[in-house]
Amino acid sequence: MKSILKSKEMSIAAIVIALCITLTFVSPVFLTADNLLDVLKANSVIGILAVGMTLVIITGGIDVSVAAVTSAVCVIIGKLMQVMPDHFSSLLLLFLIAPLLGILLGAINGVLVAKIRIPAIVVTLGMMSIINGLVLYITNGVYLNSTNFPKVFIQFANIKVFGVSVIILIFMAVALFTWYILKYTLIGREVLAIGGNKESALRVGINFDKVQVFVFSYMGLLAGIAAIAQTAYTKSVDPNGMLGLELLVIAGVVLGGANIMGGRGTIMGTVLGVLLLGIVQNGLILAKIDTFWQKVFTGCIILLAVSYDHIQYKRSQEKLAKIEVEA
Amino acid sequence: MKKFLGLLASVVLVISMLAGCVSQESATGGSKGKKEGSGNDKIKIAVVPKLIGIPYFNASEKGVIEAGKELGVDVIYTGPTEADAAQQVKVIEDLISQNVDVIAVAPNDAASLTPVLKKAKDKGIIVMDWDTPADQSLVELSVHQIDDEAYGRHIAKSLIEKMGAEEGEIAILTGGLSAANLNTWIDAAKKELAEKYPGIKLVTDKIATDEKQQVAYQKTLDLVKSYPNLKGIMAFSTPAPLGAAQAIQEKGLQDKIAVVGTALPTDSAPYLEDGSLDVAILWEPDKLGFLTVALAKALAEGKKPENGQDIAKVGKIELWEDGKTVIMGPPTDFTKENAKDFNF
Repeated sequence: MKSILKSKEMSIAAIVIALCITLTFVSPVFLTADNLLDVLKANSVIGILAVGMTLVIITGGIDVSVAAVTSAVCVIIGKLMQVMPDHFSSLLLLFLIAPLLGILLGAINGVLVAKIRIPAIVVTLGMMSIINGLVLYITNGVYLNSTNFPKVFIQFANIKVFGVSVIILIFMAVALFTWYILKYTLIGREVLAIGGNKESALRVGINFDKVQVFVFSYMGLLAGIAAIAQTAYTKSVDPNGMLGLELLVIAGVVLGGANIMGGRGTIMGTVLGVLLLGIVQNGLILAKIDTFWQKVFTGCIILLAVSYDHIQYKRSQEKLAKIEVEA
Repeated sequence: MKKFLGLLASVVLVISMLAGCVSQESATGGSKGKKEGSGNDKIKIAVVPKLIGIPYFNASEKGVIEAGKELGVDVIYTGPTEADAAQQVKVIEDLISQNVDVIAVAPNDAASLTPVLKKAKDKGIIVMDWDTPADQSLVELSVHQIDDEAYGRHIAKSLIEKMGAEEGEIAILTGGLSAANLNTWIDAAKKELAEKYPGIKLVTDKIATDEKQQVAYQKTLDLVKSYPNLKGIMAFSTPAPLGAAQAIQEKGLQDKIAVVGTALPTDSAPYLEDGSLDVAILWEPDKLGFLTVALAKALAEGKKPENGQDIAKVGKIELWEDGKTVIMGPPTDFTKENAKDFNF
């Protein structure tokens, strides 16, 4: 019990809970299943991307091309859906194509970062620009709406299991699966090992290049899945609709206790970080806070959360050091 | 390793060549209708949008090219690929060196275009603006799609009409808090409400939606939950009405909450269909392009527009007393019935 209370995620969880309690008093609507599900659904796409970003950030990298990759996949599947027949197999095909496209784009990032050793931020910035340009060139900025999508996709987007939208379920599945990879598979442990101490990890024979290609490709895979979730969420494809989303994704990961320089980060923390961002956004309108003050409040809550988390972390590190000395 | 590097180098070269082709193609892609060779003495008119590649400016491009064909002038429609003032300056520099007769520009930032427009004027090029005003001391004409004040008031009036009641709670969504044109419309709409419909209560200040449909969708969901008595939503900027309508559609509130906004007809068709969006109000961007070229041609021939002048394909225009500001006409209401007739 004590270890749970002391765990890294606790500080962020405490803030989320404190915020929820406050909002419940401020607005009776907040603590309704309807509202909470809306918040989850609205933040599922960011959540899926943030889960992938956690792995990238743990290894000390960063991927600012996530939003661009997701829009590219959105545009491609959107175009495909215009010509797809209204049949169940179309849906299966989408679930095959979208992740593969994502992996492909992610792998390009990974190979450039690992093999040519260009810093990740440069590679992904370049990638972001290339993709955004191509998307604009191909689509001419034209918005695709749901009138020509296969009916089966709209049905899929409206699926609910016990009132929980399929989009939330995808997010949950992605988070659980990634948590499992990190905790129980060799490659997951290698990611954490590199994050923990790169030099030692290299010395025990972990192939750093392979791990980097893996994390960027995995990020791409999740971007492909996020593209399906995004298209199901808006039931349309807006080529410019995700510009700037990468910042929210990175903010969610960092809020969740990950160290932007690498080394520290958990899936649970990231999920909580994304929720915190979502709840703040939702709560500001429910609490009837004036538009111009909303940004100020968002900033304050983010600063508060990160400092609280960081102070907790520093304290635990100090304790850790002491034990080592004694031993 | 060497072999790999060689291969890599060649791949990079090929890609950069391809990239070169693409960018060249896109650079010239915007200037359709321009004839080769400068030997002919046709009037050359350059129309510069804020950016190319968004539905709105694609639609006005159609009007510009159509006008070029019908009126027998050479038109160049070209602009930056993003709404960036510096890029727009470069585009205009290029046009000056091409010796065009008229430059009509929709500035991303009026002040930063002043030096380059002055340079154009010094070279004897006629300068005008369209869609968005430039430095008024430099332009011969300023073509506006709409009278901003009347437009805002019209949107407010339409909302009241669609709500079917002259009292109740309403909310306003906007693209961004700092967008000057949106703010002008919103202020006009608010004025109309304050003057004529004192029973209408605005529940909160305008809410920013970052020019994104999904943000407008989320904010509308939050709004309808926090204000259960909400009767109407006015949404400014083209994606905002779509997001608001999507939320209304999903929650099945079509009959309870009226939504009016500034959207393009093809995008809003699915929402107009079931009444989740009651009416989309905008002007016709292709007409605006057509009008710009028609007026530019007249200017190059030394003719000034007149108040109430009837322009073929556009209709009667309004000229303000300053002799510069031209208003294209009243806005167009896109409804369930007519949305299908438009192709932008």
